[in-house]
Amino acid sequence: MYQPTEILIERGEEEAPVVQRALARLPELPVRIVEKDWEQEDTRPAGMDPFGAGKRRLFFTRQRARFLEHCPAGTPGLVCCNYLIVSLISNCPMDCSYCFLQDYLANNPTLKVFTNSDDLLDEVAQVVDRQPWRQFRIGTGELSDSLALDALLGFSADLVPFFAARKNVLLELKTKSDCIDNLLRLESHGRVVVSWSLTPPAIADAEEHGTAPFAERLRAARRVQQAGYKIGFHFDPLIEYPRWETDYRQALEQVFTSVDPRRVAWVSFGSLRITPPLRKVIRQRFPQTRLLSGEQVLCDDGKWRTFQALRVKMYRTLITQLNRLAPTVPVYMCMETAPVWQKVFGRAPGCDKDVARSLTAPNLGQEGTHRAGRRAEQLTA
Amino acid sequence: MATLNEQAQAQQIEVYAQRKRLSSITLARWQAWPGTDQAALFFLLQDLQCGENHLKDLLNWLEEIAARDERTIADILERRELRRARATPGSRNDKLKAVKVVLRKIRYPRLTRLEENVRQALKALDLGRTVQVSFPSDFEGDEVTATLTARNVHELQDGLSQLQQRLDDGRFQRVFDALDDV
Repeated sequence: MYQPTEILIERGEEEAPVVQRALARLPELPVRIVEKDWEQEDTRPAGMDPFGAGKRRLFFTRQRARFLEHCPAGTPGLVCCNYLIVSLISNCPMDCSYCFLQDYLANNPTLKVFTNSDDLLDEVAQVVDRQPWRQFRIGTGELSDSLALDALLGFSADLVPFFAARKNVLLELKTKSDCIDNLLRLESHGRVVVSWSLTPPAIADAEEHGTAPFAERLRAARRVQQAGYKIGFHFDPLIEYPRWETDYRQALEQVFTSVDPRRVAWVSFGSLRITPPLRKVIRQRFPQTRLLSGEQVLCDDGKWRTFQALRVKMYRTLITQLNRLAPTVPVYMCMETAPVWQKVFGRAPGCDKDVARSLTAPNLGQEGTHRAGRRAEQLTA
Repeated sequence: MATLNEQAQAQQIEVYAQRKRLSSITLARWQAWPGTDQAALFFLLQDLQCGENHLKDLLNWLEEIAARDERTIADILERRELRRARATPGSRNDKLKAVKVVLRKIRYPRLTRLEENVRQALKALDLGRTVQVSFPSDFEGDEVTATLTARNVHELQDGLSQLQQRLDDGRFQRVFDALDDV
């Protein structure tokens, strides 16, 4: 359970609904009203682990930049799946040892919650309602866990009804938590995918601090699926260690004995990738980690990954297993090169729309697409 | 393995760091190890006399092997193949090179095996100097480059014939196969 040490509120945002909800649930915490550019002062928490301490300072502020962005996986040289992201929270209450936020938000002194969720919804409506022929996938899990703070902030009550009412967009709520109670009270009309990032229990226990255990995540997935939501799974990061093959095979088995594969929207795989600065931070913050012990090499995009032949073997092994357990579930790889797609699936997508269509069309149907009648291409060989 | 008393050891490591102008971060990392591990590396460095960059490689690899294999660094440095590499005759650079080759092999067992298999497959091509075959760094990507060098039409014809023959008898295929074989 996330326990902040203090609440900071930007002056003028005190009455925002999300602030009121949080204050009602955390009545004992000290509250400070701060100016909007408070963060630009030297406000990094002191101590040995300022990044870790920053996670426990809950800061409510307005988002003044755009909410809707393209997923950063659309890096040149990598196959992209045309995913869009929106962030109502920046920073994460969980503390996975491999998390890129440790570098990306290194100087961030707080866990930031944006108070203007209505602006986010307006912005999304402007884009998706004006292009009813296009299908979109939008996720909230890039800069934070989508659900870990939902009991405190209640954003799902704003997001789910909004997306449930639209025929050409899927909202993905990506989590490592079991915080699903609010979702069970909402109707998704099949347009919300709740997805879990999974690693085998041995890795989850050792490296994913503050997350729900593997078994709890699966239990939550089953409950959400039974409540009518589509669900997804991301084996990302895929971590190479001496027992990876046995452990990941068992994890996949457990997933598909727990849930109904017919209502799984997608499964993705993505190799562990670490920038050189992140590698340094991991060594410093988690000196006992075994994550850096895999056979990783520095790739063209400046990130360390398991060397290509071995990660291709890992993808092939697990996707073959997945195809046995759940042959109709769409599958894709995240932040991988066309040569790796070629080796794993037998062909690389012609363009990013191919991948996007293989994920949206089976879940939204052909409704709302200008390519009506054309069968979605499954990229599984 | 010989051991130093703790104080003397700490002092000797400080002196080594000053002499080699190690950064405070690198020194702190070494000093954060348990005493026996610090001493084991210190004894290795008596032979190798590494500066900052080589030492950082050693620290990285040793810490990563220790975490993966759940062994102490002192245990790793006692491995027979490493002791043999340390005893390599020749200059300090020869020893350093031999130790790093062995340590990299322990750190990256499958990648170094793949490199060796590709090397063997290339050797079996027996193409001489006319044709050079190269690969992307760390075998990331899917392009193999064959460069044919000729000073006249006869050499060009000869190189092409050799290439065609290696394609026909499957030896080139074995190079490509080796790239995926882990």
